[in-house]
Amino acid sequence: MKKVFATMFMAGSLMVSAFAAKAENYGGTLSFLVQPEPPTLASYVSTSGPIGLVMPKIYEGLFDYDNDGKMIPILAESYSMSADGKTVTFKLRKGVEWHDGKPFTSADVKFTILEVLKKVHPRGPNSFREVSSIDTPDAHTAIFNLDNPAPYMMRSFSAYESPMVPKHLLEGQDVKSAPLANKPVGTGPFKFVEWKKGQYIRLDKNENYWQEGLPYLDRIVGRFIPDASTRTAAMENGEVLYAAYNAVPNIDAVRLKERDDIDVTTDGYSMINPMALIEFNTKEGPFVDPAIRRAISTAIDRRFMIDTIFFGYGKPATSALSSNFSATNLHAKMANYPERGDVDAANAILDKAGYAKDGNGVRMKATLDIIPYGEDWRRAGEYLKQAMGDIGIQLDLRYEDVPTWLKRVYHNYDFEMNVNYFYQLPDPVLGVHRHYGTNQIRQGTHFVNSSRYSNSTLDALLDSGSKEPDAAKRTATYKEIQTILANDMPVVNLFELEFLTVYNTKLKGAYGSAMGAYGSFREAYLD
Amino acid sequence: MKYVVKRLVQGVPIILAIVVINFFLLNMAEGDAVDVLAGEAGSATPEYMAELRKKFGLDQPLPVQLMVYLKNVVTLDLGYSFRHDMPVNELIFDRFSATALLMTSTIILAVGFGILLGLLAAMRLNTWKDAVITVFALITYATPLFWVGLMMIVVFSLQLGWFPTSGMENVAAFYEGWDRVVDIAHHLVLPTITLSLFYLALYTRMMRASMLEQYGQDYVVTARAKGLTERRITFVHVLRNALLPVVTMAGVQVGALIGGSVIVESVFAWPGLGMLAFESLFARDLNLLLGIFLLSSILVVAVNLIVDIIYCFLDPRIEVN
Repeated sequence: MKKVFATMFMAGSLMVSAFAAKAENYGGTLSFLVQPEPPTLASYVSTSGPIGLVMPKIYEGLFDYDNDGKMIPILAESYSMSADGKTVTFKLRKGVEWHDGKPFTSADVKFTILEVLKKVHPRGPNSFREVSSIDTPDAHTAIFNLDNPAPYMMRSFSAYESPMVPKHLLEGQDVKSAPLANKPVGTGPFKFVEWKKGQYIRLDKNENYWQEGLPYLDRIVGRFIPDASTRTAAMENGEVLYAAYNAVPNIDAVRLKERDDIDVTTDGYSMINPMALIEFNTKEGPFVDPAIRRAISTAIDRRFMIDTIFFGYGKPATSALSSNFSATNLHAKMANYPERGDVDAANAILDKAGYAKDGNGVRMKATLDIIPYGEDWRRAGEYLKQAMGDIGIQLDLRYEDVPTWLKRVYHNYDFEMNVNYFYQLPDPVLGVHRHYGTNQIRQGTHFVNSSRYSNSTLDALLDSGSKEPDAAKRTATYKEIQTILANDMPVVNLFELEFLTVYNTKLKGAYGSAMGAYGSFREAYLD
Repeated sequence: MKYVVKRLVQGVPIILAIVVINFFLLNMAEGDAVDVLAGEAGSATPEYMAELRKKFGLDQPLPVQLMVYLKNVVTLDLGYSFRHDMPVNELIFDRFSATALLMTSTIILAVGFGILLGLLAAMRLNTWKDAVITVFALITYATPLFWVGLMMIVVFSLQLGWFPTSGMENVAAFYEGWDRVVDIAHHLVLPTITLSLFYLALYTRMMRASMLEQYGQDYVVTARAKGLTERRITFVHVLRNALLPVVTMAGVQVGALIGGSVIVESVFAWPGLGMLAFESLFARDLNLLLGIFLLSSILVVAVNLIVDIIYCFLDPRIEVN
């Protein structure tokens, strides 16, 4: 009795102090949009977008990152790095339990990194490629032994990028087909309850969450609504309170923004770093000559594309790297990336390179493939057709469904130019190298070097960029890389996409993490 | 009874033929389930993809895949959906109830009101009532389904706030028992009305025309000569005969209803089979798609059998054999 009283008192005082400090409310259901419905819930096997919306509420990472890129300790309390950058020691949080009651230990970390992420995660083999072994001297210490320094690794410990999974539910099984995929057991603030196919995924509050007093919400429900106009209506009606990754299209978002109870933000995407771009086939077809690719980049009015097609959300690209890498001093502004497009200069380049216009003003014909992810991209293709017509390149547009398009571009290399977008992720090693390295010409693998561009000087620079622990030297290396790419242009970057999160102002506290919608929502509450 | 069994036996080769044709048609599409899965995952190694293909049996030659599939179908096993990581039977069963609910309520509403309005229009030929019904039928027939759905949402959910915009249940509340039934019925109203409107218009027009045609028949003249009341002529003699084409049409359209419901299911986020079929096509989830096609072909065969039986009740002259 006394003990019960004491616990109640403690809980009560905790709540009182929480109320006093920030006036957060406990309880309530947050219903948000998950679009499209995810194929599975195995975030350790697939980085597919909708999985990322759901799973970081259930699985946690060693760290999270705030909007300034600073590391927030989650499952790790702290880390220390040896002087040569080859040994990283993590001190893990004590008293953390999986949702099934088993303790979380360093054995889970070792298993997750070496047996799961390094083997079956799409990006894990790259993020942790230098990790040769992990020592676990006690249950709460994990020592990563690296072959080479890996500065980018410290940016990939979020719950979305590297979720920590329970060893006891995966060990001895085929990780990719283990039942954990659709019955996740994590350490996070919310527990998996139910997945009604075609309707919703329901998560309930984890009453035993390690951070006392969190989370505030009783329940999170991710809803699937296939039709974009209905998603907007559900948002207007207050049936859903949060819609990230353009689940509510820009055209509606700019209208909803005018309402008092709905707001729009572009925060929460800096770790994803999406870049719209054109990939060229550099091995065969009309775009083998880099001069043509430079002319194309010069002719494009990036500002027009952003303002007209994407309702002003986006930043013109200025180099092969996103300007978000300015935070780590890796971005440098390059030539051949005009904001407004210069048709005369582009024509001059083509004239000089000897591509004469015929009687109809046509220098060459080509087919432009368009990423089949919706109307915005189709319109981008239509703009490009017109803009390229101005410099004598006559384009035919081709818009296919996803499997056909992937097969064409990444299996058969049966394309000439292709509008696409890539996630550049929190470090170029993770998101940009895959586009340009010779070792990234991997037929049949999606979203890698489909241009089949190969340059040994660049390969050497990319290699040193991934191993260089010294920040200043790294800056210099990436400047060289960007200079080469601005000249050869196997890929022409168009603009940095700014995804929109539309949210009901009743929802507070969901915006502190740089991961945005891929965050845990442990501090989210309803006003 | 003998007739029913005979028809059922005849249905089997038809359904098998449908399965085989669907199988080859679907396999003509570029790309497979593995391409889509790997594409969504962002990046995947060719080894991993080869391994997946082996696991899914997609590395086998097509005729072998077909034989394996047919063997499974005969044992009532529709295979495994690799995308959903679930047996197809389970997935379809889960979604079929939502579709069945929407279809049944739609058919009842469309056929019931269609017959009623058509009857009314025919009985009040060339009056304002007839004009109103005919114009209403023409407009609803000509309006695209998705637009009607969106307008329903704008008017009845956003402006008036009478009905929820989408879904099948209130996910903030998670009702149980009778409250849940009421909640689902509440969510069912807008999708049903939207999906019914098109068919309602069709049946109204058909019923009206059919009634008028029957009024001109010799037996009506005979009935009048016998001194029967107009009321009795209309409801006992003309109505029964006029229903035949409407019932035939309704039977044929049950199959089409599944197709038409893709749009309504998508607009109202109704978790039915149409939506599942639509998604699985883009995911190249062929096992699931074949399963849905199989189910709908069985449904069409069954409904047509029921329609034939209804014929005998409507018109005793028709004999079933």
